[in-house]
Amino acid sequence: SVFDPLQEVQQILRRRISQTNCPPSICGYEKERKQLHDLIKRTAVMGESNSLLLIGPRGCGKSMLIQNVLEDVYQEEKIKQDLLLVKLNGLLQSDDRIALREITRQLQLENTVGDKVFGSFAETLQFLLEALKKGDESSKPIVFVLEEFDLFAQHKNQTLLYNLFDISQSAQAPICVIGITCRLDVVELLEKRVKSRFSHRQIYLFNKLTLTQYRRLCFDYLSLPGDFPDKSFAKNWNSNIEVMLDEVAVKDVLERQFSLMNDVRGLLSLLTYPVCNISAAHPTITASDLITSFKLISTDTKSAMLHGVSILELAIIIAMKHLTDIYEGEPFNFEMVYSEYLKFARHRSGMQVYEKAIVMK
Amino acid sequence: MFEISLRYKVDSDSESACSNSEAESDEETDDSDDSPKRGVQRRRLKNQKASRTLKGTPRAPRNTPRSTPNIPSRHDPRPSPASHLEEARSRLHVSAVPESLPCRENEFSDIFGFVESKIVDGTGGCMYISGVPGTGKTATVKEVIRVLEAERDEGNLNAFKFVEVNGMRVTEPRQAYVEILKALTGVKATADHAANMLDNMFTHPAPRSDPVVLLVDELDLLWTRKQDVMYNIFDWPTKQKAKLIVLAVANTMDLPERMMIKRVASRLGLTRMTFQPYTFRQLEQIVASRLKGLKVFDGDAVQLAARKVAAVSGDARRALDICRKATEIAEEKTSDSKMVTMMDINSAVEQMFCSPKIMAIRNLSVQEQMFLRAVVAEFQRAGIEEAQFSKLYDQHQILCRFEGIHSPTMTEVAALCYRLGSIRLLLVEPGHLDLSMRVRLNVSQDDIMYALRPEGSSDL
Repeated sequence: SVFDPLQEVQQILRRRISQTNCPPSICGYEKERKQLHDLIKRTAVMGESNSLLLIGPRGCGKSMLIQNVLEDVYQEEKIKQDLLLVKLNGLLQSDDRIALREITRQLQLENTVGDKVFGSFAETLQFLLEALKKGDESSKPIVFVLEEFDLFAQHKNQTLLYNLFDISQSAQAPICVIGITCRLDVVELLEKRVKSRFSHRQIYLFNKLTLTQYRRLCFDYLSLPGDFPDKSFAKNWNSNIEVMLDEVAVKDVLERQFSLMNDVRGLLSLLTYPVCNISAAHPTITASDLITSFKLISTDTKSAMLHGVSILELAIIIAMKHLTDIYEGEPFNFEMVYSEYLKFARHRSGMQVYEKAIVMK
Repeated sequence: MFEISLRYKVDSDSESACSNSEAESDEETDDSDDSPKRGVQRRRLKNQKASRTLKGTPRAPRNTPRSTPNIPSRHDPRPSPASHLEEARSRLHVSAVPESLPCRENEFSDIFGFVESKIVDGTGGCMYISGVPGTGKTATVKEVIRVLEAERDEGNLNAFKFVEVNGMRVTEPRQAYVEILKALTGVKATADHAANMLDNMFTHPAPRSDPVVLLVDELDLLWTRKQDVMYNIFDWPTKQKAKLIVLAVANTMDLPERMMIKRVASRLGLTRMTFQPYTFRQLEQIVASRLKGLKVFDGDAVQLAARKVAAVSGDARRALDICRKATEIAEEKTSDSKMVTMMDINSAVEQMFCSPKIMAIRNLSVQEQMFLRAVVAEFQRAGIEEAQFSKLYDQHQILCRFEGIHSPTMTEVAALCYRLGSIRLLLVEPGHLDLSMRVRLNVSQDDIMYALRPEGSSDL
């Protein structure tokens, strides 16, 4: 088959934008990254039990950071053999029972139990606690990653959280509990005894990007990597992108998008349309692509809806607007709207006066 | 038949052939152990009229082979701590409970005296222990039991059994019966059946049975509407022949008055003990005792941590966590003297107790900050702490025009509003209410003004 650089470009960029691949660069978070790295490493190597909460608004790269750190930690062969990972999500494990079953499965304990995993909830809990209690410093450390942590705090009695934190605070199997959430007030959701067992380590992640960093990030996302097979094409492409990002119109669009949302996801949604628009007939990304994309994102859905209504419907809406103005936001019924509409249609215009039944429709 | 074949299949799947034979032999011994006992129970049940009902018919306790669940052990042994700081950190971990708890000597001797006298006399009794989390309730009780067990093993004390139930570790209050029964006899049963068996055990004990010490942790979780679990637990010790000593542990002091009906509360009796929160001197002593022989902490640093914690909650766990965090901060420092100073403690305290809201507001995007300002402006105009979204949108438009920046559309402003709601800076109603959705602030107005003022001008 003939190598088609354009297709390759599309594949790379689309994967980046849909966030299936790792982002090309991590901007900021060096300190937080180091903290997290040290913590997980200490759990893995020293067998120290810990708990931690990762808090930040949506789209600020919490899960990405964890994933990145874990990949980094796993680089060492020794740790890779020793560290077990359990991932739970508050949206999927909506109940302690399901979460427990999932933990058993991910720890691959069901082999030793045979059919016992299908026992009652109480049995599963006892079984798991027994397993964890039997462990001591010499057993493999486990890292629990709880996404949507605030939803776990809504479970009955917070049993799961209590038990996880309790294990991390007593001399049992070494575990590290990492909660990920976007709620700033998540600690207040915890019950007193659960809160006391939580070690109150919190890492806050915020979008600290400045506008120049934002532009830089945009370039990183659109540029081709150094190991792209067709070197001259890649060089050409990158210089093209750089020129495009220097245009005034593009800068303006980026600035407006930045002032709306200063996170990476906002940028990605802006870049989706231009990237998907690449084809043989349209081989480069131009400034007009970005502008169209911004227009697409920022259309007001309601005024777009208003464009599609018939004249009669529009007339009724105008009548309603009159009523709102006159009575200052008081609610009104259909009769009032209809009489207002009649007043307008009979006296002021040559408009056809419709029957009540039609207006009602 | 099916079950057995399944088990075989699973076992042959897993390569541990030895566990198979183990499980089988286990089952056999269990059965042979059980059969006379079960006979005795059956006889007893016949004597009792009340238990002749359907519920009382004894079912054969299900004997699932006791498998040994295990976390696989690690390949390399854990390295021993390399530096003083790491040594200090492992000692400061909450799990490293010391042999004897400092500052809890009085409570220790009280509980010890209570339990010992009951064991010696061969009578039963209850004790209610309360206190806020992290004041050493469970640790003290466990220490008492440890000392008593040591005494028993030396032969100075009559034999006794120790059973522990935690309200948080059972899925349902009635599961506590199952737990107790399993700890006493090793038999598994359903909750109803276990309750009956326990009832029998304590009302008609074998003449030479050992006294039982029952520790009930997180008692308030065992509350049910009829309170039958609590009632039973406190009723058994009052039986004449039951040699049961119940130590109930909970957080609130007035739990018996608040939650229990009279006949439960009266059975609980008046032997109560309250664990006061630690004072800062005690916290200091605790930390010092853990660090005995290690020169890593500044004396003032420990005092600062103790004072900070004592001012808030008096929770020993928190003090230990702060000190542990401070060792990490000290380790990051490049200076040669690996001592934990007051500065380290201070930054650890700040990291643990800080309120992130102001930082969060400062890191919002321009339009989000603008929306917060619009909210404050609207609240000040209307004088109430709640506003409709349509009003806020108008204010937002005005502010944008005032600042000379492009005003976003309604859809975008609504999206902004939800983002602020998801991180709980605002409290918003569900989105289907649209324009008439009401918005409230979750931070104080002063905080917003404080966060936006110093930076606001430079940011635009």
